[in-house]
Amino acid sequence: MEEKLSSVAKTLKPSPIQQLSFLAQRCNAINLAEGFPDFPAPPHIKEAAVSAINSDFNQYRHVQGICENVAVKMKEMYGLDVNPLTDIVICCGQSEAFAATMFAIIDEGDEVILFDPSYETYDTCIRLAGGVPVYVGLDPPLWTLDSDKLEKSFTVKTKALVLNSPHNPTGKVFTMDELEIIAGACKRRDVLVVTDEVYEHIIFDKERHVSLASLPEMQSRTIITSSLSKTFSVTGWRIGWAIAPPCIASAIRNIHIKITDSAPAPFQEAALTALRSPPDYFNSLRSDYESKRDYIFNLLQKVGFKVQFKPQGSVFVFAELPGSCSLSDIEFVEELIKQAGVVAVPGSGFFHTNSSSAEYVSGQYIRFAFCKSQDTLAAAALKISGLVDETGNLKLF
Amino acid sequence: MPHPISFRFNSNQCIWTPSHKMLLRPHYFTLKPFNLFQTFSKNIFPKYKFTEIKRIGSLRFSSIMASSESTAVSTQNATPQPLQVAKRLEKFKTTIFTQMSSLAIKHGAINLGQGFPNFDGPEFVKEAAIQAIRDSKNQYARGYGVPDLNSAVAERFKKDSGLIIDPEKEVTVTSGCTEAIAATILGLINPGDEVILFAPFYDSYEATLSMAGAKIKGITLRPPNFSIPIDELKSAISKNTRAILMNTPHNPTGKMFTREELEAIASLCIENDILVFSDEVYDKLSFEMDHISIASLPGMYERTVTLNSLGKTFSLTGWKIGWAIAPPNITWGIRQAHSYLTFATSTPMQYAAAAALRAPDSYYEELKSDYVAKKKILVEGLKSVGFTVYPSSGTYFVVVDHTPFGLDNDIAFCEYLIKEVGVVAIPTSVFYLNPEEGKNLVRFTFCKDEGTLRSAVERMKEKLPKK
Repeated sequence: MEEKLSSVAKTLKPSPIQQLSFLAQRCNAINLAEGFPDFPAPPHIKEAAVSAINSDFNQYRHVQGICENVAVKMKEMYGLDVNPLTDIVICCGQSEAFAATMFAIIDEGDEVILFDPSYETYDTCIRLAGGVPVYVGLDPPLWTLDSDKLEKSFTVKTKALVLNSPHNPTGKVFTMDELEIIAGACKRRDVLVVTDEVYEHIIFDKERHVSLASLPEMQSRTIITSSLSKTFSVTGWRIGWAIAPPCIASAIRNIHIKITDSAPAPFQEAALTALRSPPDYFNSLRSDYESKRDYIFNLLQKVGFKVQFKPQGSVFVFAELPGSCSLSDIEFVEELIKQAGVVAVPGSGFFHTNSSSAEYVSGQYIRFAFCKSQDTLAAAALKISGLVDETGNLKLF
Repeated sequence: MPHPISFRFNSNQCIWTPSHKMLLRPHYFTLKPFNLFQTFSKNIFPKYKFTEIKRIGSLRFSSIMASSESTAVSTQNATPQPLQVAKRLEKFKTTIFTQMSSLAIKHGAINLGQGFPNFDGPEFVKEAAIQAIRDSKNQYARGYGVPDLNSAVAERFKKDSGLIIDPEKEVTVTSGCTEAIAATILGLINPGDEVILFAPFYDSYEATLSMAGAKIKGITLRPPNFSIPIDELKSAISKNTRAILMNTPHNPTGKMFTREELEAIASLCIENDILVFSDEVYDKLSFEMDHISIASLPGMYERTVTLNSLGKTFSLTGWKIGWAIAPPNITWGIRQAHSYLTFATSTPMQYAAAAALRAPDSYYEELKSDYVAKKKILVEGLKSVGFTVYPSSGTYFVVVDHTPFGLDNDIAFCEYLIKEVGVVAIPTSVFYLNPEEGKNLVRFTFCKDEGTLRSAVERMKEKLPKK
């Protein structure tokens, strides 16, 4: 029956990150791999969902209020004027928003530029839609954008570019200069941009997230995707959205309706409450995550990782194995599970071979997630610190 | 080039082993078509260069490719091409349901068009969801389903069909049956593959198949019985036929495929090595005969994807919990597509769905008897108003012939019905490949409370004069 699978399906493999989570569960290892919180979601939002279920908001539904609230937030945060009636599509998570966007804009053979390292899912969504991913490597150690490399990656077939900022796995927040370079290149080549801004509220050191769409003349060629998941610690609710100019939004909406028809109704209701959370909520979110970042960053630095780049956003630290370490990233993660009972993600899964930086760096990075409770982080710190030698460095190095 | 990708859990030792070592992949996978997913052990699989990928990519010819010539820009020409949405969207438009619903609201019409209840689901299921939310089950679930739900699906399937399946390897949970259909099609259909549909059909089938680049062949079911024309089906089969997509109990006609019909389809599939995708979301709303899953016929499980969901059975259509049941190798393809469409399904609802599926027989009996009563009100009402009502054995739909009222076609009739009578029905021409075939029929639903059904019938009796 294998021959019955579609050719794209045959090339796909299960998510390595999900696999590691199952392993962590079974070994009772501390999971610093998958990027979801182990602390509860905010009570006011959970209660909103409970109340929605009790009030019988349980049938197929489109909650237009979400579009209105998202439009308000876009104006507040990025100065963007978004029409809630035509420009916003509610989807089952940013995952579905991104997939629907790809199906809406990509034809067979269209090229899509991505920055390496990158979240594993974009690649496959692009290929499922018949597109061809083209990778531009960000330059370590600070993951800077090389504008020449970017220029050279455009061809006549380039249809779109994907920008994820704050960035998974590195935690980089693209600078204004870099955004201007990207915007300039895309405008000159008349290319669409699809952004993944799920970590838009998780940003540190007084940095401000800038949405690429807010740069001059960019809104008409940008599709923004984001969700409730990371901002409100409800990754399991599957409420996200795409924001785009009306004709593209309409296409995305039509595809979404065929893929899932609608997002879970009670959680759409709860999204209204979430999106109206007071500024305090967002401030605490940032400061809590900032202290978690500091905690993990300092720990990793202390035990001998090369962490030249401190993440400015997202919930991840992309730590480099020191030169003395003879283990590959995969071997390292395996050993860390066995010897310290802590799971992280080997970085090579985020690099793609047709990008120039991949050759020499991909086996050296480990991604740690710090979207975990203080207890979990402390326990992980204890376990990791217990594995050091007399110089204070990890024995594994 | 090291690459971690797949690890498989070795349950004996609580270690993980790179999957190539455990050889859990279907054997064809050792062909390693895509260099991106090399394993870290360089010696085991050869590297594939970028050109290899292109060659494999070029095998995916399709009508989409052929029609995309107009978007090619000459290499010398620096003029940017206009921003374009994908060619695959040519078949996509706002759904008829949305259009009719807006018109209905505008005219204050009673909505017997869109297929969702105006009453709510059972308390015990809602409570289970609430409990799950409060118990902090709010983060990503396992991609292919919360284990308890997979088990509950398997248990229910065994009760209903007699088939014993492995919940871990043969069940995939999705955001509603709509997504199960999309994942099945995208995971199993190649551009150019022929897929047979029975018209009239639920509108997402055609759209999703065209997204996958399939060639659609339609077999029309005709009134009064909408029986399967087996000879026509036989002649529609070619060497390119990859699958038959069927729906029983059937939306919009309410027809249920009989054992004889299923056996005839089964033998054609076995003979020609064709897959079956069977949409069975209304299986618990089967009134005039027992629902039979084609997967339970001899020789069929190995080639069938059985699709179902929570929404219709438990009046919670907005929760978006569905599933696909298929043998492991086929499930694998569905899971891959699913993981890139939505990644995971709503967690608290999955816990509630597991509780729902373990409902006692009395729940299903009451569900049926409630719907039988509602159906009686609607069918008797429609007959007395003057429609020709076709027999519907299952689902909560009936189709009727509207021509006694003298309007040109189904869309004109539905518009008239909303504006002049204040009742919504759905024009069935949208459910056909050739809309002409549906112009005499409209679909009513009876998944509404009895008061609403009676009011709708009253309005029609008053204001719908037979010509």
